[in-house]
Amino acid sequence: MTDLIHIDNLSKHFKILNRHQGMAGAIRDLFSTDFRTVKAVDGISFDIQPGEIVGYIGPNGAGKSTTIKMMTGILKPTEGTIQVNGHAPYSNRIRQAQIMGVVFGQRSQLWWDLPVIESFKILKEIYKVDKQTFDEHMGLFSRLVGLDKLYTQQVRTLSLGQRMLCDISASFLHNPQVVFLDEPTIGLDISIKAKIRSVIQELNRTRNTTIILTTHDLGDVEALCHRIIIIDKGRILYDGDIKKVNALFGAYRTLKLQIEDFNDSTLSVLQKKLDGKFGKKGGIAVASTEDFWTDVTIDQARTPLSDVLNFVMSNFPVYDVRIVEIAMENVVRKVYDGALG
Amino acid sequence: MKHVRTYWAILRGSMITGLVYRFGFIFTILGNVVYLFVAYFLWHSIYRNSTTLHGLTFNEAFIYVALGSTVFILLKTYAEWSISREINDGKIAVYLTKPLDYQLYWLANNLGFTVTNLVAITVPTVLLLIFVFKVSIPLGPGLLFFPLSLVMAFLISFNIDYAVGLAAFYTESTWGLSMTKEIIVTVLSGALLPLQFFPDAIQKVLLWLPFQTIYYTPLTMIAKPDQGWGVFISMIGVQFAWTVASFVLTRLFYVQAIKVLRVSGG
Repeated sequence: MTDLIHIDNLSKHFKILNRHQGMAGAIRDLFSTDFRTVKAVDGISFDIQPGEIVGYIGPNGAGKSTTIKMMTGILKPTEGTIQVNGHAPYSNRIRQAQIMGVVFGQRSQLWWDLPVIESFKILKEIYKVDKQTFDEHMGLFSRLVGLDKLYTQQVRTLSLGQRMLCDISASFLHNPQVVFLDEPTIGLDISIKAKIRSVIQELNRTRNTTIILTTHDLGDVEALCHRIIIIDKGRILYDGDIKKVNALFGAYRTLKLQIEDFNDSTLSVLQKKLDGKFGKKGGIAVASTEDFWTDVTIDQARTPLSDVLNFVMSNFPVYDVRIVEIAMENVVRKVYDGALG
Repeated sequence: MKHVRTYWAILRGSMITGLVYRFGFIFTILGNVVYLFVAYFLWHSIYRNSTTLHGLTFNEAFIYVALGSTVFILLKTYAEWSISREINDGKIAVYLTKPLDYQLYWLANNLGFTVTNLVAITVPTVLLLIFVFKVSIPLGPGLLFFPLSLVMAFLISFNIDYAVGLAAFYTESTWGLSMTKEIIVTVLSGALLPLQFFPDAIQKVLLWLPFQTIYYTPLTMIAKPDQGWGVFISMIGVQFAWTVASFVLTRLFYVQAIKVLRVSGG
């Protein structure tokens, strides 16, 4: 078998107690056997080859983390097969851990109260990394991101971006075959994100490390992955080349407007005027959101965003504007609507 | 064993962590000194009209109680709170993705704190007892068994804490359980009061429970070390049996508990 990761018809079901409201409900819950089954992952299959960078994306609660936890041997599948490097992760947890690296964006693997270098020394012993490999690795990260400047700093005093760089470095320390990055850029600013992306790319290129990336940031996926797997409600919606999906979210932008004297007819007037100007085939859709913003979604492949912006600004009393990339939820909705045919 | 270096590194890390909070030591030592004074006067008045009570002289009883509070600080690592918090907030996932045995990881971690406490708190307290309270520690074979007994007391105490921590797999709140354990261990182990002071019937029951091996066994070896070798050998034997049993039981419990694992978040 040449696949590094082989997943076949994998499912994970959780039993969750149905909670009732109020004090009486809480007391009832003490004796309740009213469980419902949540299918966090529901019959997924895919294979991953050595050296791939795969974007594993989906909205909140789609089953991404559950899949990662099964691949890393934390959770045991309810049904189906999962093999990493030819072995079931769950039944060989300690041995399998040696060939994996994991970064949970929300949790650090570093020792909170210790200087950065001490955490690396501990990890060196946990993974039984020899001195030469250790020195090479630390040298590489000092060159790439200036890790050596942080050595004596206590982990708790690091900024989020610095901590994430340290965590990523730590997950590659033992030269694993596969690294799972779970939301590695969450809450980071643009420049640190760019740095993290280039480090990941560099390590994938030089060491041929397989990388599974889950993220909410479509920018991460665009920058790093050739292949993308979209999951929602525990099922795989799409698995394939990113270029096809790129057309979906790469070209779309949403123009968010706040318009003075907004009333019931504003939306329809706006849509009519935009259709009049750019034509029905302009790929422009107007919708309102609950927070008083008017969303104008534009397909840039058909109509330049700047043209729409100019037109709207000169014809409507707009007092605030934001431009956002299309959200993960909208991509998933488009996939459902058959956009990938 | 090739894993020794791994757990030694973790132990070393937790020792350094312990030293980071160096001001904590000062307050712990001060608190203990206050307790020693209170205990001294309390036991002085208990012994006002007699030289021996339940077979213990004042000196023996005071050594027992004074060292009891010191050993208490040494063994109290609050592992159950850290472990249950880690399980509930999902941080356990970070350790489960490493080639580590979860129990040994925590054992090494706790041992680090205990070693730091031994140097920073126990040693000064013992010096204080000898030079300020003028306590003379009697000599006898018991002293030879004390170090080994203390190590086993640590292991049994740790395993009980670990088991309570693992209960977090089954319930989100282990507060009640931790408090109950705290009271049971403190009272039934003879940490506050030597077992001799309990009624005979209760003493008999307590000797069959594991808790007495945590405090009563090591403290007796140092407070009343001038007894026959046989007494101490049988005490160590019982302690050893409980050490082995506590490891077997906690490992079985872990295998069960990990099955219900659900790391939070989707």
